[in-house]
Amino acid sequence: MLGLGVTRNVVQHAVRAGAVAGGAVRWATATAAREGTATEPKPVYLDYAATTPMDPRVLDAMLPHMVENFGNSGSRTHAYGWESEDAVEEARASVAELIGASPKDIVFTSGATESNNIAVKGVPRFYSRSKKHVITTQIEHKCVLDSCRALEREGFDVTYLPVQTNGLIDMAELEASIRDDTALISIMAVNNEIGVTQPIADIGALAKSRKVFFHTDAAQMFGKMPINVDDMNIDLLSISSHKIYGPKGVGALYVRRRPRARHPLWHLPTDLVVGLGAAAKVASEEMAYDSAHVAALSERLTRGILDAIPEVEINGDPVARYPGLMNYSFAYVEGESLLMALKDIAISSGSACTSASLEPSYVLRSLQVSEDLAHSSLRVSLSRFSTVEEVDHTIALLKGAVERLRDMSPLWELVQEGVDLSTIKWTADH
Amino acid sequence: MKLQIKVDENGVIADAKFRTFGCGSAIASSSLATEWVIGKTVEEAAAIKNAEIAKYLSLPPVKRHCSMLAEDAIKTALHDYKEKLEKKTQN
Repeated sequence: MLGLGVTRNVVQHAVRAGAVAGGAVRWATATAAREGTATEPKPVYLDYAATTPMDPRVLDAMLPHMVENFGNSGSRTHAYGWESEDAVEEARASVAELIGASPKDIVFTSGATESNNIAVKGVPRFYSRSKKHVITTQIEHKCVLDSCRALEREGFDVTYLPVQTNGLIDMAELEASIRDDTALISIMAVNNEIGVTQPIADIGALAKSRKVFFHTDAAQMFGKMPINVDDMNIDLLSISSHKIYGPKGVGALYVRRRPRARHPLWHLPTDLVVGLGAAAKVASEEMAYDSAHVAALSERLTRGILDAIPEVEINGDPVARYPGLMNYSFAYVEGESLLMALKDIAISSGSACTSASLEPSYVLRSLQVSEDLAHSSLRVSLSRFSTVEEVDHTIALLKGAVERLRDMSPLWELVQEGVDLSTIKWTADH
Repeated sequence: MKLQIKVDENGVIADAKFRTFGCGSAIASSSLATEWVIGKTVEEAAAIKNAEIAKYLSLPPVKRHCSMLAEDAIKTALHDYKEKLEKKTQN
């Protein structure tokens, strides 16, 4: 299996290189512990949409820059600096190659959140004398929506496009909302809650024809599905390292050279940047394998769930999606109680009970998913390292947990008795 | 939450069952409610306060309303029992 085999390589490499082996060995030991013993069940991680472990090859690439090649890439006067600068430029090229861009158009940031802020706020502000309008969607990541709110406070108009019940925007609505003073369209490539893909190439073509900049938050797509910024007419693109088996704390922003928006420069953490570059390189090499692997597991998971458990809905279009990010609603069972019942699996829910504000997921609400089903949702996300055993184990645990919770559910009882839930008076008067 | 109580001829709750669609705290609150009402008289059960349930379960502030729902469920069940009892004695 890929994970275990590569683990051994990392340990051997680290020992051979004579680097401070503590890090790699501790990592390998931690992995062994995570894998469990003969008697303890293995805890299963299926929340890769939240974050991913580093690919051992990424760690391999980073370690030297933490101990031997530790120079500041900005140091111009000695080999430590030059070597770091070379490493950064190599990383830049790897990232660029993965999206068909020139390395000169890649800016490293602290992550996709910063990249989104720079793009969404930077472009309109730069053109604020003549442009007053921004278009985005209702299902964007919080950092994009918050950036748009900030722009509104500065006097910009923002159009938040609704989505259809399958999670996709309506191209005609997008076209109709473009104004002469629209500075930017920002629409995410793959949604982080439901996995749906927007028609990025179509949006890019439309934006170009109307001379509007097009930014896409590609945090969940980069390294997983093919992207070409020229073919897709993308002007700005946000990248997250820790979503593709790279280190946390670094990301990138692609900015097309002409025309260009201003952006800040900052001192680069060489080891993190090298990590992102390595992650991009590995993703490029593994994309064919990864896609096939994740698609097969996703199909197995969905099939297994639908066969074993009645009354399950898939949230978001079944086809226009990244298969590794699935969102299911289990009717008549609440999400947080389901998460608790599945404590040996790491997943997340769109239920209100799991959010501090007690509001259900705004993404699911935008799909017009009913309140009950929004409360009953689970997000399951797969990876390069996921296995058939993990998927089968999850299906079995889900079946058991859903059955147990439905036995406890008054809604399920009523439905079994043939009652139409919409006719129930829920609170008694007394 | 759905709460069912079985009350004997002395007005003592002999058995109680629950069903809940809700988070872990809601399920726990309603489950605890059934445990607490068993063996109590109808009057004693009516005196159970949501604060007691919340304290026993160490519910965090964001989950306190789950205990309120449980208290409501108890009161609604007792009210329903009273109504049925009146109907029975009328016939």
